[in-house]
Amino acid sequence: MVNSEWLTGMTRGSAGNVDSRRWQASILPPLLVFVVVLAVWELGVRIFQPPTFLLPAPSEISRTFFANFTELWTYGFNTFREAVAGFALGCGLGILVAIVVARSEVLSSVLLPFAVASNSVPIVAMAPLAIVWFGIDEGSKIAIVAVMCFFPTMVSMVRGLRTPSPAQVSLMRSYAANEWQIFRKLRWPAAMPFLFNAFKICATLSMIGAIVAEFFGGSVKFLGVYIKTEANILRTQNAWAAIIVACILGLSFYFAIVLLERKLMPWFTEEN
Amino acid sequence: MSHIIEFDQVWKIFGAGESETIALQNVDLTVETGEFVSIIGPSGCGKSTLLRLIADLLPPSKGDIRVNGKTPRQARLDRDYGMVFQAPTLYEWRTVLKNVELPLEVMRSAREDKRGRAVKMLDLVGLSDFQNHYPRQLSGGMQQRVSIARALVFEPTLILMDEPFGALDEFTRERLNLELLDIWAETHKTVIFVTHSISEAVFLSSRVVVMTPRPGKIARIIDIDLSYPRNFETRESDRFFELVTEVRETLKEEFTRGEIDD
Ligand SMILES: Nc1ncnc2c1ncn2[C@@H]1O[C@H](COP(=O)(O)OP(=O)(O)OP(=O)(O)O)[C@@H](O)[C@H]1O
Ligand SMILES: [Mg+2]
Repeated sequence: MVNSEWLTGMTRGSAGNVDSRRWQASILPPLLVFVVVLAVWELGVRIFQPPTFLLPAPSEISRTFFANFTELWTYGFNTFREAVAGFALGCGLGILVAIVVARSEVLSSVLLPFAVASNSVPIVAMAPLAIVWFGIDEGSKIAIVAVMCFFPTMVSMVRGLRTPSPAQVSLMRSYAANEWQIFRKLRWPAAMPFLFNAFKICATLSMIGAIVAEFFGGSVKFLGVYIKTEANILRTQNAWAAIIVACILGLSFYFAIVLLERKLMPWFTEEN
Repeated sequence: MSHIIEFDQVWKIFGAGESETIALQNVDLTVETGEFVSIIGPSGCGKSTLLRLIADLLPPSKGDIRVNGKTPRQARLDRDYGMVFQAPTLYEWRTVLKNVELPLEVMRSAREDKRGRAVKMLDLVGLSDFQNHYPRQLSGGMQQRVSIARALVFEPTLILMDEPFGALDEFTRERLNLELLDIWAETHKTVIFVTHSISEAVFLSSRVVVMTPRPGKIARIIDIDLSYPRNFETRESDRFFELVTEVRETLKEEFTRGEIDD
């Protein structure tokens, strides 16, 4: 009794070690690279002493980051809200359209090439037009982000909904399942990995899209506008600090989706 | 209705013109309720096609099919049959247990104890310990056993099995053969069983349908007059060997280059 309990305790312990070792292996190398790059940067600036507006030292940027903390994060979250709203709108519409398109063989094969081609269209370049249509405030930024998220989501989702094999569909037919059941119990879950792939792409895209769209104008209380104005008056350390905020928000968005994926699709993410 | 399956001059032709394939040619077949009928024949002779016609997953090109006295479509809508496909066809996002519960979910079965039934079926195929595994964590043979449990769980009167044990080792295969016979005896189901193995066909069936190579026709139907219940001794009886030889000879007559694994 005591012996076996001690044994199971052991195995659990060592399994935990393996887990944490794997985690360390995946997080440690990039962390190391990051630290080295920062060190070289800091050292380079100290040695060559370029003017601050050309290249501020990491220590200078971090000083600014903490000095303007509230301001930066307020702007950050303003922009983040646009990104999330655009993401929700674009991905939501993408899913809805995909559901309709995927139902038809013809529609899928006619529309998909266009949707794929749209990947190479610089959608942010339409930001000035969006401002004309939706105004200088959040509306135009949300619209740009939404359009950016729409196409990848739609393409992935159409592919995902059409991925079940004929045999998997036949199985449902053999149960005399109706269309809704085939959708709900087969096509939708089969499309989940595709959808989350799109979500991960769109999470990154949406933060980039919102900031770049803001470069074309808007209130100064947003990250993109702030970066642009600060860079224009050569207070580049402020711009750099704002970029760090953007990075943190973008990465958090991405990892929130990865976490959700792990939670919703253990069958997909558990072990390679 | 005691004829559970009736094929009346059924043809199945795939494609047209140059690429035309005659998969089934003029098939006449009657199966009585409660029979265990095996279908054996070389690869590509139309065995799976025959099952898919019964299951209304394909329409016949010519001829008439009745299942339970109804059109195959009506029989499908009435959920008269359970099918075990040639590949396991599990849903990879569902655990083993949820895969077995799937037909009950789809059929909104009034049966209160879905979980209980699924657990019982998994027990039957020897996978109780794997209820919460995902399909890809299982071997091919284990996956096929899950799909058998899934076909039995809603207690259809007719069971269509397309080489269900093809991927299994000889030992597991023989054990599952016995279990299948037990289930069949207990539940009075009708089983249509496609196989490549002559000994498996003879051991299980009340009749063996031998098919010719493409285009698939019925070469001969051989009655297997071994008494049920059958067991390991059945396999060692003289009559068993005679029947195995008879099936083999029939197959040999029908094609020169055989692909039979027994
Ligand atoms: N959907 C299809 N379209 C065109 N031809 C098909 C189709 N399905 C089957 N066939 C053809 O019909 C013939 C019979 O196929 P079937 O799958 O019924 O053979 P089988 O006896 O089950 O073979 P195996 O033992 O290898 O599973 C084959 O020649 C195959 O090429
Ligand atoms: Mg086949």
